[in-house]
Amino acid sequence: MSETAVLSIDRVSKHFGGIVAVKDMTFEVQAGEVLGLMGPNGAGKTTLLNIIAGTYSPSSGRVHFCGRDITGLPAHKLCHLGIARTYQIPQPFTSLSARQNILVATEYGGKKAAGMEHDKIFDLVNLSEQKDMPARDLATVSLKRLELARALASNPTLILLDEIAAGSTDAELPRILGIIEEIHKMGKTVVLVEHVMKVMVEAVDRIIVIDKGEKIAEGTPGEVMKDEKVIAAYFG
Amino acid sequence: MKIPRLTTLVPVVILVLLALFPLIGIPLNWLNYLFSFFIYLALATMWNLLAGYTGLIMLCPHAFVGLAGYTMAIGTWVGVPFQAGLIAGAAVAALFALLISYPVFRMKGIYFAIGTLVLPEALKAWFSFWRPVGTAYQGGGAGYAVAGVAGFTLGDKYWLALAIAAVSIFVVHIILRARLGLGLTAIRDNENTAASSGVNIFRLKLSSFLIAAFIMGIAGAAYYIHNPRIQPTSGFNISWLLLPLMATVIGGEGIEEGPIIGAAIVTFLRFLLADYGAWSLFIQGIILVVVVVVMPQGIAGLLRQVGAYRLPLRLFKAAEAKIHKT
Ligand SMILES: Nc1ncnc2c1ncn2[C@@H]1O[C@H](COP(=O)(O)OP(=O)(O)O)[C@@H](O)[C@H]1O
Ligand SMILES: [Mg+2]
Repeated sequence: MSETAVLSIDRVSKHFGGIVAVKDMTFEVQAGEVLGLMGPNGAGKTTLLNIIAGTYSPSSGRVHFCGRDITGLPAHKLCHLGIARTYQIPQPFTSLSARQNILVATEYGGKKAAGMEHDKIFDLVNLSEQKDMPARDLATVSLKRLELARALASNPTLILLDEIAAGSTDAELPRILGIIEEIHKMGKTVVLVEHVMKVMVEAVDRIIVIDKGEKIAEGTPGEVMKDEKVIAAYFG
Repeated sequence: MKIPRLTTLVPVVILVLLALFPLIGIPLNWLNYLFSFFIYLALATMWNLLAGYTGLIMLCPHAFVGLAGYTMAIGTWVGVPFQAGLIAGAAVAALFALLISYPVFRMKGIYFAIGTLVLPEALKAWFSFWRPVGTAYQGGGAGYAVAGVAGFTLGDKYWLALAIAAVSIFVVHIILRARLGLGLTAIRDNENTAASSGVNIFRLKLSSFLIAAFIMGIAGAAYYIHNPRIQPTSGFNISWLLLPLMATVIGGEGIEEGPIIGAAIVTFLRFLLADYGAWSLFIQGIILVVVVVVMPQGIAGLLRQVGAYRLPLRLFKAAEAKIHKT
């Protein structure tokens, strides 16, 4: 494992009964890197994020975070250590206001250095106007922003973003790219799962393509888009 | 001098008025009714903390009531005054909660509910033959009398129950406005998100579970100071579950004033229907079903929905403004 790796996935597999969701996965993410995870629906991307964030423990293999073996640690400990994630399908605290939603993450996120002020976070994700609304009254677009806001509020080292651009209009994409750029500038390491190609190609340094739980390609956006296996997985 | 806010003042005034009741010679029956009301209120408030704010459908209040009652009763047989036994009983209830927490918290939702429901039955069976002090039939059957409570007047018992109810409401009030309350609400709303936001779910659930067990224990033990005989069938009786459950659901789960309204109704019904035996539970059950269907948020929920608090609150605010001006 290299010295600067923030995240290291070492031959990780995950089975659900007979289904193999992730198979023998190995990769590293360097400090400050923006890594993209790509692959058709059901490829195992969300499962991989769930393993990194501690929602699931892997069936086999090890996960290291900043040099420390975190395999099987519970989600709240990983949050304290500096891993935050968004959910592909927003999972807010419905009875709490947007502001209280992210307050949970700052109150319970662990003894890290103070992160961004809440108002700045809301500005960044463009949710300032709705921050006092109960989450149950927010539209899906706003809930997606709230996912981002909550992930940022615990001031993580590594942030896992699961299809934050899904459902956005083209006009909203520059803003989303801007947010990722901003997170990157804060020095955070990002793992980005995305179907929206424009976001993927413009935001990331490197892409790993997954199909049926296995890594089929890895490289810069330009490289993987030309890869035959990738073309086959997507269009074949 | 800082003038206290009216919203703080009103509960304090009500508390003082209630505390004066035994001194102004109100009918003894009334003190009895209110005693029961305070006990049920404390139980319901704690049940609401778990079901309404933590998302734990805990079905073993009768384990805490029975254990605390037995601890206090048995204590009085070996020279522990009942006052100390009251606290010891609550502590035993909390200790029991701590012991069962690890296995029951591994179960989710309905499994947690069922897991907790079997515990009081096991305790009931155990206490039917276990007799740590006294010979087999001393005190009669498997029951114990609570000794040394003769000098404790009805007024004393009334104040004790009032204090327990007031403290339970105050505790929940504080919790809900503190960091703990935020975490509990997060757990209730979404456990996955709570965990990935850094909330230690086990620890927080355990905190509210222990608080509830302790206060339910003390409320149960206080009941057995007033009715100083405990038996397995009374201490571990399922009505200790049904009362707070009905009070909370009828009054409004997850709403602070819900258990207050609900406990008042449940107490009223209990005495009104006292002569009808089994029919009493049947009628209460029907009322429960009707409330659940007609007002899913309970009575307090309905009151909030129709804005029943708006006028009194506005009057408060106006009065407050006037006071602060002068
Ligand atoms: N909790 C689960 N239980 C059973 N199967 C699951 C579970 N989570 C994911 N899977 C399965 O694992 C595979 C990968 O799913 P997922 O990681 O969500 O894919 P992606 O995010 O790439 O679309 C799918 O076949 C999915 O049905
Ligand atoms: Mg997915």
